[in-house]
Amino acid sequence: MREILQSANSTPTPHRLGANSPVVLIVLLALLCIAISIGSSRFYAIENITAILRQCALVLIIGSGMTLLLIAAEVDLSVGASMAFAGMIAMDVTNQTGSVWLGAAAGILFGGLVGLVNAIIVTRLKVKSLIATIAAMMILQGGVFLYSRQAIQNNNQLPAFTAISTGFFGPVPVPVLIAAIIFICTYIVLRHTLFGRYVYAVGSNPQAARLSGLNPERLKQILFIVTGLLAGLSGLILASLMNAGQPTAGRGFELTVIAAVILGGTSLNGGRGTLLGTLLGVLILQVINDGIIILGWDQELQLVVPGIVIVLAAYLDIVRRRAGAR
Amino acid sequence: MQRSPSLSATAGDMGAVAFCNALFRRNEMVLLLCLAMVIVFFSLASGSFFTIRNFANVFGQASLAMIAGIGVGVIVLAGEIDISIGSLAGAAGIPLVVIMNNGGSLELGIAGALALALTVGLVNGYLAAYLGINSLIVTLGSMFVIRGLIYLYTGQKAIPDEQSLESFYQIGNGRLLGTVPYSALTAFALLMGFMYLMRHRPFGRNIYAVGGNPEVARLAGFNVKGIKFICFVISAVLAGISGILLSSRLGSAVHVAGLGFEFQVVAAVVLGGVSLAGGVGSLFGVALGVLILSFLSNGFGMLDVPTEWQEVATGIIIITAVAFDEYKRQRK
Amino acid sequence: MTKPLGQLLAILATLAVMMVPAWAANMPRRIGYVTNYATHEWYQNVIKGMKARAAELGIAFEVRDANLDVNKEVSAAEDFMSQGVDVLIITPVNEGIVPLVRRAKEQGIPLVLEGSPVKRMTTMVATCDYDTGYLAGVEAGNYAMNHLGGMAKVMNVGLPLLSATVLRAHGFMDGLRTIVPNARLANDIDGGGNPDTALAASTAALARNADINIIYGINDSSAQGGLQAWKASGRSQKNLLVVGTGGEGLGFIHSMNTEPAYKIEAAMFPEKEGFTAIDTAVKLFNKQSVPLHIVSPSAAIVGADGWKKYYSVGENVRTIKWDAVNRLTPPANCMKTSAPF
Repeated sequence: MREILQSANSTPTPHRLGANSPVVLIVLLALLCIAISIGSSRFYAIENITAILRQCALVLIIGSGMTLLLIAAEVDLSVGASMAFAGMIAMDVTNQTGSVWLGAAAGILFGGLVGLVNAIIVTRLKVKSLIATIAAMMILQGGVFLYSRQAIQNNNQLPAFTAISTGFFGPVPVPVLIAAIIFICTYIVLRHTLFGRYVYAVGSNPQAARLSGLNPERLKQILFIVTGLLAGLSGLILASLMNAGQPTAGRGFELTVIAAVILGGTSLNGGRGTLLGTLLGVLILQVINDGIIILGWDQELQLVVPGIVIVLAAYLDIVRRRAGAR
Repeated sequence: MQRSPSLSATAGDMGAVAFCNALFRRNEMVLLLCLAMVIVFFSLASGSFFTIRNFANVFGQASLAMIAGIGVGVIVLAGEIDISIGSLAGAAGIPLVVIMNNGGSLELGIAGALALALTVGLVNGYLAAYLGINSLIVTLGSMFVIRGLIYLYTGQKAIPDEQSLESFYQIGNGRLLGTVPYSALTAFALLMGFMYLMRHRPFGRNIYAVGGNPEVARLAGFNVKGIKFICFVISAVLAGISGILLSSRLGSAVHVAGLGFEFQVVAAVVLGGVSLAGGVGSLFGVALGVLILSFLSNGFGMLDVPTEWQEVATGIIIITAVAFDEYKRQRK
Repeated sequence: MTKPLGQLLAILATLAVMMVPAWAANMPRRIGYVTNYATHEWYQNVIKGMKARAAELGIAFEVRDANLDVNKEVSAAEDFMSQGVDVLIITPVNEGIVPLVRRAKEQGIPLVLEGSPVKRMTTMVATCDYDTGYLAGVEAGNYAMNHLGGMAKVMNVGLPLLSATVLRAHGFMDGLRTIVPNARLANDIDGGGNPDTALAASTAALARNADINIIYGINDSSAQGGLQAWKASGRSQKNLLVVGTGGEGLGFIHSMNTEPAYKIEAAMFPEKEGFTAIDTAVKLFNKQSVPLHIVSPSAAIVGADGWKKYYSVGENVRTIKWDAVNRLTPPANCMKTSAPF
């Protein structure tokens, strides 16, 4: 067992190269911020910062779970579709019961349920998670319209429901606070607990992990459920932000999340990645998105620039690893 | 371990038991059975399904995914993936239509489209095979970049074909003897060609070896990078051909053409029994996967099944098929 | 003996006279409709109008969904044609159906387009996008004069992807400027036509320039996304006007009921458009001549109760008030179109 954990650590990892890897991203982020603020003085306005952080929160919440999942060499592409469905359910239950708490719980639990089903299909039926969750995405996208073709409105106009997304806790927007708490929790779990080490071990070498008495299946199940719960939570916040459950919300959100996680240096092959990287990846992509609008550039660039940045970041990561290996 | 890509042993000279065994071992047989079941079911359920015209329609409709599917099948067999094909199929129409509109011939336009596809393939291949960047990341990136560039270039409008060349209309819409769509014939010819290459030429063996276990292949002296590189080029060029036919079918270069096409094609390839891990599966399986999904979509339409249910059913079918594949693989 | 016979003849004659309207127009047996996006409320209501009219006329009516994929749309239409529908109605996903128009002509199947035009079409039933925006723009101008101190600084939550939605925004600004000549388009953004993209893009745009007092959405989702972004930034709705377009489903009615700033809706009555499309299909089937563009009416709905003139709402359904909608007289021609005529 110890050997595994050590081998997991000695592969180019979070901790050893960690000191090095975020530097590139931090510099990139700083450069972006400087460049955009030169172009537009509005960039540093409190309002813009708040807006960026609020958008980041949605991505970071799911991104925290997705990072763990990718480190364990699995992926979940159903999160976007799950968000929309969870938001619809949260709004519906809130309307039916008059209780925002029950609605929120229902939405989040629905996300968890999707995660559980994904977990079973991947670990028991042995379907590759890429395919299993694409199929789950199809099923959810169809299913959400079977549930309701219309957007579900906040019929009772409960202010508590909108407060989930637009409220403030002191100077901090509520979703940002939620994201921060989740980020810190997953960060501690990944870096400072045995569970976190298992995640790396399972991702870098599942065979060896199994031989040493770990149960990779069980661990992956937990990660799928966690990611699902977080997708439910994100869906709840998105529904609150729109003051309605929208069946088409969250389309393509899975790619935004995965792009941010990959940009943060997490490997698609498992075994490698950090939450700090994910945080930076989320910030960079949202700053780019925001910058394109705030500079008044063509919004088509919102597709082109992230596309180039992701490939570039993946390349830099390889260069860095080779340098490290030498 | 590796499933044979060849179907050369025929069922005829085996006993009944052996035949049944083969039926369960050979993914292609199961898929053929599934396809037959789908056809029988819809024929019974809808009066207008089992007609020559409808079958000709379905083969025409399946041809685009079939052509792109051959390319994706090849690249997945080599252990990589290409999800930029949807954006590329959409992009291929642009040089085609622009060249024709500026007085060029159809041939020149096709050359332009293929040149674009080739370029994308070379770039994808270089980044993934030679620089070693994960192919999902590379092609996710090019999927975004190409689509963004299409929008920038076209200003988010379709570019209509202004010359109205009859030949351009015919390649995607014309039918041999008024029955068999030319696009279906093209797809069939390409399928036969690539099946031959994959089964009977070193080209195919190389790909299976590289996809099955790149490390072993490298030690055995295969040029792993070069082989993967060529697969990216093939995938891109076939996506380009698919895009040319699509553009003719739509009579223009449509800026949103091919959106989501990559998911359709990957789903068909996986349904056809090709493992995303590489090295396992066959192009015949891919062809069956494409046909099954095309007949399902056609039949669902005839029975007035709402889109929501179609999406749910397709998702369930894919999970079931892949889970079944895995189950068989483990029992062996 | 002659008396009963005379009676019988009289009855037959009366029956014959009564049948005349039905005989005058031959009814197609089957009409097939390929819709753009059946899960969207707009198209559900178009379909509702079509179904109602087809049932009235005793025509079998079938729907296929292109689900925003033009290639799938061509396939669905192809399937309909080979099954022998008498008339085909299509809502084009985009211009990619031009070859299909030719094929329908070659096979002698009449084709009605709904919503947007393509080259070489026979006829199209659609509202005037520019005019719809224009009508709402004029009302918005009046509102700005009375309630916003004569200022009009607009954020357009647009969709450059479609020429129709671009026209709506142009119409809105032009209509607005007839009342408020110095009205300004302060933010022009791509909201993707769906609420969450609209929300995200509007949020960034408001941070860039929040000096606006009118949010125009090219559809109801876009207006909704823009308004939610405004609310999320902590601003009051007091000096704001939100204008939506489409009147697609229940969403705008809910917004007008509950959001203080959501005062104007450029309604396009999808049910009516569906109804008219079926009537046009019958005309084409009978080889009657029809104009290239049959205009379906639109109207600006103003104020919290304005919608009640045209709709009544029950549990999760809305019902169109045909009398009120039929009383609207659409113009014979649109002020501006993008049609490639």
